[in-house]
Amino acid sequence: MRNLSIIIGSIMLALIVIVALAGPSVVSQLLFPGERPAMRGSYRPYQLDSAEHPIGTDGDGRDGLMVFISSIGPSLQIGLIAGATSTSLGVVIGFLAGYARGRLDTLSRILIDMVLVIPTLPLLLMLAAYIERWDLYKLSLILGIFGWSFVARVIRPQVQSLRERSYVDLAVLSGENAWEIIFLELLPPLLPYIGYVFSLSIVGSMLAEAGLQIIGLGAGGLPTLGFMIAKGFRESVIAIGLLGQMLLPAGALIYVFLALNLINTGLDEVFNPRLKTTIEGGD
Amino acid sequence: MTANSDTRAGEAAAERQDAGRREVLRYALRRFGVYLFTLWAAITVAFFIFRLVPGDPMNILLGNLTRAEGRQRDAAAEEAIIARYRHIFGMDEPLPLQYVNYLRKAVLGGLDLGPSFVEYPAQTKDLVFRRMPWTLGIFTTSVLLAWIVGTGLGALIGWLQRSRLSQIAVVISTLLQITPVYLVALGLIIYVGYTWRILPAGGPYARHLQPEWSWEFISSLLTHAILPMLSNMIVIGAGFTLGMRALMISVLGEDYLTFARAKGLSPFTVLKDYAFRNALIPQVTALAIIVGATLNGTFIIEVLFQLPGLGTLFVQAMGLRDFNTMQAVVLFSIFAVLTLTLIVDLALPLLDPRVRRTA
Repeated sequence: MRNLSIIIGSIMLALIVIVALAGPSVVSQLLFPGERPAMRGSYRPYQLDSAEHPIGTDGDGRDGLMVFISSIGPSLQIGLIAGATSTSLGVVIGFLAGYARGRLDTLSRILIDMVLVIPTLPLLLMLAAYIERWDLYKLSLILGIFGWSFVARVIRPQVQSLRERSYVDLAVLSGENAWEIIFLELLPPLLPYIGYVFSLSIVGSMLAEAGLQIIGLGAGGLPTLGFMIAKGFRESVIAIGLLGQMLLPAGALIYVFLALNLINTGLDEVFNPRLKTTIEGGD
Repeated sequence: MTANSDTRAGEAAAERQDAGRREVLRYALRRFGVYLFTLWAAITVAFFIFRLVPGDPMNILLGNLTRAEGRQRDAAAEEAIIARYRHIFGMDEPLPLQYVNYLRKAVLGGLDLGPSFVEYPAQTKDLVFRRMPWTLGIFTTSVLLAWIVGTGLGALIGWLQRSRLSQIAVVISTLLQITPVYLVALGLIIYVGYTWRILPAGGPYARHLQPEWSWEFISSLLTHAILPMLSNMIVIGAGFTLGMRALMISVLGEDYLTFARAKGLSPFTVLKDYAFRNALIPQVTALAIIVGATLNGTFIIEVLFQLPGLGTLFVQAMGLRDFNTMQAVVLFSIFAVLTLTLIVDLALPLLDPRVRRTA
């Protein structure tokens, strides 16, 4: 099997997407018919695990499992939107930088390196101080805008190396213009690599989002996995004995990262076949 | 470059060495120029981002204060107060002038970044300097230790690539590497700190102690530092391990290694002089790349472990809407990241002769 890791990773990812989409209604139908498990004050807060509440209730009197299941979707959504934003920005800038030569190339390299080293967390936090009301899209877009430099940084050298290949020279000689060369000659072979970078960006955005929540300044009230972890930590749910309310969201985050990581490993092998032969061929 | 270097053999060698040195110097100077330019640009970007986002800091700050005190809002008086404060903090001038003043004070005024809004007249510079040792201490120590451990471990795993043990190590490091650093920190706090009570999991040192040069204080400081550093180390170290393993494996596939073995060199010599050394260079570059991301993680770790570093300062300033202090923290962290990256980059030619030539 050539790409087992892509398949396993995709299945894992598909499973959690299904849970995120169908989970909330299924859980509320099956476990809480006729109740409102996700509404504040529905139950007595901080109840321990029981048959009725598998991972207890949270500090706001909601069912823990219900909160957990409905937190997965927003987390994934943020990762997806932010990842798509930073990948598309980074790919455009990386292609322009890689395709340009001379002074423009030097300038763009300096620009990319510069943005890359700026620690983004304080900038994000500072923006968070200015923005009064966060919503999911605002947060995702801002995370995405801060994430492009990494994408551009890794795309640029790939474009540079591709454009020196002889088939590109041939395309130039046969009269293709710059856009045709970029879209017909350079982009297609890089697609697996772009997929790889996209998946890395999703991980990065989800990491940043959960980090913001845990530091306590994130999008207050956005019901994500990171928010659930942060809330659990602040209310010390572990000391109360509500292990699941901490471990489940943490586990779900790690699960998503693992799935994306598997897909990444596979895409990397597709893009870079030498990696596989050297690993298998050994010494 | 070396126009007449081929007159006599001895001179040629000396001259080549000389040229090599000049190349290194040129590389260093160029790198330093890029550093200064990047620093300036980063400061400029940071300055304008925070001046251009909607919302006047003074309005937000004073609006919050009056709201917090619950007084009847007197619009005219509030306007007057805001105008007065804007004047004190030099924010009533046109933007370009503010920028020039800001740069002038920061560069010529000995890093004068203005007073703190909240702890006025305390200088933000002093606040930052007081907190900086904590952040840099935790950060540099854990990154360096993680790099050393990860590089060694990765080289070993890469060398023993087929054994079961190294496969298990790969799976474990992959899992650790994808775990966010704050989740590792939370796990350590909850289990090691509170459930098992093995190590202290919060605060810089025991509460009853004062900073002094005593064994009691220093040991308390060190035991309190273990968990924060460990959280950083586990995640970064796992990343370095995997990176080094991949590098090692690709080096092991090279022909010159087969040749070295065929020459009859001992496996240890091959490992040390041929494989390890060549895999090390990209590994040092990797060190430079992760500096920024790791600083982000360190900020979160400080907050979780309640250490009085820059991250905590930032979060406190943020809660009080102390924009000058926030800006100072951002600038200092940019400065720290750029400087650390510069140091790594300048160390690179010592390891890799190719950088000297191509610089």
